[in-house]
Amino acid sequence: MDLGLTEAQEILKTAAADFVRQEYDKDTLIALENTPTGVTPELFRQVAALGWLGILIPESYGGTDRSLTDTAVLFEELGRGPVLGPHFSSSVLGALIVLLGGTEDQKQELLPGVAQGTTVLGVAVTEPNYGWIPDTVQMPASRQPDQYVLSGTKLFVHDAQAATHLLCAARTAPPDNGSGSGISFFVVKANSPGVAIRTLPGWMSQVDEIRFDNVRVPAANVLGDTPGNGWDILEAASMGAIPVLCAYQVGSCQAVVDMAVAYSRTRHQFSQPIGRFQRVQDHIIGAVNHLDAARWTTYEALWKLDSGRDARSSVHLAKAVTSEAYLKVCAGGHEVHAGVGVMREYGLILHTQRSRTLYHCLGDARYHRRRLADALGW
Amino acid sequence: MDFEVTYTPEQEAFRAEVRGWLSENIPADLTQPVDPADLTLEQYHKLRELGRRLGAKGWLYPTYPQAYGGGDLAVDVVMILEEELDRYGLHLPPYYDSGGRLGGASIFVWGTEEQKQHFLPPIFRGEWRTWQLLSEPNAGSDLAGVQTRAVRDGDSYVINGQKIYIGSLYGCEMMWTIVVTDPEAPRHHNLGWLMIPYDLPGIEVRPMELLTAGGEGGASPGLKHTIFFDNVRVPAFNLVGGENNGWQVATTHLELEHGGGGIVRRNRIVDQFLEYCTTTKHNGATLSRNPDVRDDMVDVYVKSEINRLFGLRTYWLSHAHRPRSYEGPQGSYYRKITALEIAETMLRALGPYAMTNDPQWGPLQGLLEHYQRAAVVGLHPGGTTDIQKVVMSRRIGIGRAAKEQAGRLR
Ligand SMILES: Cc1cc2nc3c(=O)[nH]c(=O)nc-3n(C[C@H](O)[C@H](O)[C@H](O)COP(=O)(O)OP(=O)(O)OC[C@H]3O[C@@H](n4cnc5c(N)ncnc54)[C@H](O)[C@@H]3O)c2cc1C
Repeated sequence: MDLGLTEAQEILKTAAADFVRQEYDKDTLIALENTPTGVTPELFRQVAALGWLGILIPESYGGTDRSLTDTAVLFEELGRGPVLGPHFSSSVLGALIVLLGGTEDQKQELLPGVAQGTTVLGVAVTEPNYGWIPDTVQMPASRQPDQYVLSGTKLFVHDAQAATHLLCAARTAPPDNGSGSGISFFVVKANSPGVAIRTLPGWMSQVDEIRFDNVRVPAANVLGDTPGNGWDILEAASMGAIPVLCAYQVGSCQAVVDMAVAYSRTRHQFSQPIGRFQRVQDHIIGAVNHLDAARWTTYEALWKLDSGRDARSSVHLAKAVTSEAYLKVCAGGHEVHAGVGVMREYGLILHTQRSRTLYHCLGDARYHRRRLADALGW
Repeated sequence: MDFEVTYTPEQEAFRAEVRGWLSENIPADLTQPVDPADLTLEQYHKLRELGRRLGAKGWLYPTYPQAYGGGDLAVDVVMILEEELDRYGLHLPPYYDSGGRLGGASIFVWGTEEQKQHFLPPIFRGEWRTWQLLSEPNAGSDLAGVQTRAVRDGDSYVINGQKIYIGSLYGCEMMWTIVVTDPEAPRHHNLGWLMIPYDLPGIEVRPMELLTAGGEGGASPGLKHTIFFDNVRVPAFNLVGGENNGWQVATTHLELEHGGGGIVRRNRIVDQFLEYCTTTKHNGATLSRNPDVRDDMVDVYVKSEINRLFGLRTYWLSHAHRPRSYEGPQGSYYRKITALEIAETMLRALGPYAMTNDPQWGPLQGLLEHYQRAAVVGLHPGGTTDIQKVVMSRRIGIGRAAKEQAGRLR
């Protein structure tokens, strides 16, 4: 038993923390929040140069082939920012979908670019009938002799505006015909004729609508050799991707807790630091408990995955706990900060927005609690 | 990271040795009652005998040096001992000896060499069972505000006062306590930490009637007492840690009471509840198939997993000698508060069945009924949930730049 980080992980953590501190000061983060991609080309190039966009990608495809736990250590630091942009969508979820589902040619074509930052993947699964079960994917992919035609709407897609390529789930068979789920992933260039991407307005960032209007996709762009197994690919990729997303949220929770503790010392009311009031302490302690619950469920899931153990129930547990934790930690942060916490320039609401935007990504807490019960065989 | 202990062939050989030894030394008719208050004197004697045999091998308090009656065993090996005992539903020590567990640690850290030689071997070998006497009618959370007096008189201290919520069924050999040694000295510098033989003249032990007794970690006591001291003479040698240094000594056992050592075992009650729900039918349908009960089960499971991970994390920190801060009291707080929530959820899931230990109608031989009571009682021993949060706040440094240090365990 050893719950500490390895030396290599400590080095990565420090490097990532330094990078986020130096390049992503609060003003930069706030300025990027409401941009379509959440990142500048220059910042994205820097992350690529550090090798972090290929962290999960095998060396044969130009990556550094590190473990999920290593990847999580990196994303925990990015989550502290919180650093926005397609790092997770492209280099984790997208890369895993291609790795687990793509043909050799597709991997050769896409993954080296993902590692270099020249190819950016966006994963388009959900639709107006929002949800993370196969039946909610209804967009048809109509077969023609050597191509498919996609028509329909994808909704609440993360980081589509930043993507060069969309991994788009569509129906090649109706749900009930017995050939797996009947869903296939298509590799669609984001600038294909008929693709229209729009950033959704409101209290969210880098979440998009994509309209497909008779978009023609070569048959060779179906991901993998077996049309119809797209949902299985998504499930398999999610097993690895979810705990990395959780680690990002753990870093975010840590940042909010650190902010609240610091403020509890410096803000005085009634001639004493507000942190001397037990109610204020309660807000912070509640947040710390959520943070640590998120941290340890997440890292245990990662350990199970990296050591080849059955991790299903742990992954569902981690996502259920962590999505909820980020919400509650932000709520605690706001209780402690009161007025200053809702000032845009202070930076706390960036997290509050992310805690809500990421809550549903790859399934919300309630969904994962149900999956947990199933995974435990009850 | 590695969340599991991996055992070497030598350690597995040790497991085989332990398993063989336990099968020979644990009496076949040693049963543990569902309600610890039902422990019979005969069963108690068997548990004490088992304790002495474990003690003779250095397995009762295995991490302490052999010179003091311990086993000089490393953490991983102790995990093996715990796991093997757990198969019999037993802990180390196998009977209520929270006084020995906590007091032993304090003497080990703060005692003189002579005191360690005198007090530790009988505790660590299981010859003495020890009670802890901290709380008083007017000093609970505010432990430093105790009023029981110890006045130096020649080679003795003379004790007068009253302690409350003390001990267990069937007495003990030794007690330790915090008393006022200098009423003029400032708070935290006015206390002494004393070992008191159980059978001295002037000590009166009166049973209390509680909802149940338990929640202190380890084996359940089954009964609590009020203890009166009327001019009790205790050898001055028994004062551990020096004059007016009792609060320092207490930081060690308080750290342990606040969960600083961590725990690695599963919550058997939760496991049994979940299994009960997957195997029991109500109205023709398995409970776990009822969507409401299923949600309840997930709720219980999630909380118990977080408890398990907090306990494991703290166990690792303390045994790998990593810096500790708020983790002990956090685990303690979370365990207490979620135990109450879990009990409430079980009540929702099972309805009035959760409240009866009737041989015909009570689920799991009354285990869940007892848990309903134990979860309420367990909020208080070793510091209330509020006090755990007070300690956490100081350690995290909420509202203060200088963070309080965790108590010494070594
Ligand atoms: C089953 C059981 C076993 C026990 N075993 C032992 C034992 O073996 N030995 C022993 O010495 N004692 C034992 N105790 C006593 C136990 O340690 C005390 O009950 C506990 O410390 C609380 O003290 P109190 O009951 O006097 O409550 P109080 O201290 O009077 O607390 C009342 C309320 O005030 C709150 N409060 C007090 N101070 C603060 C503060 N600073 N900030 C916020 N809230 C505060 C408390 O949280 C609580 O809500 C046991 C108790 C029980 C129930």
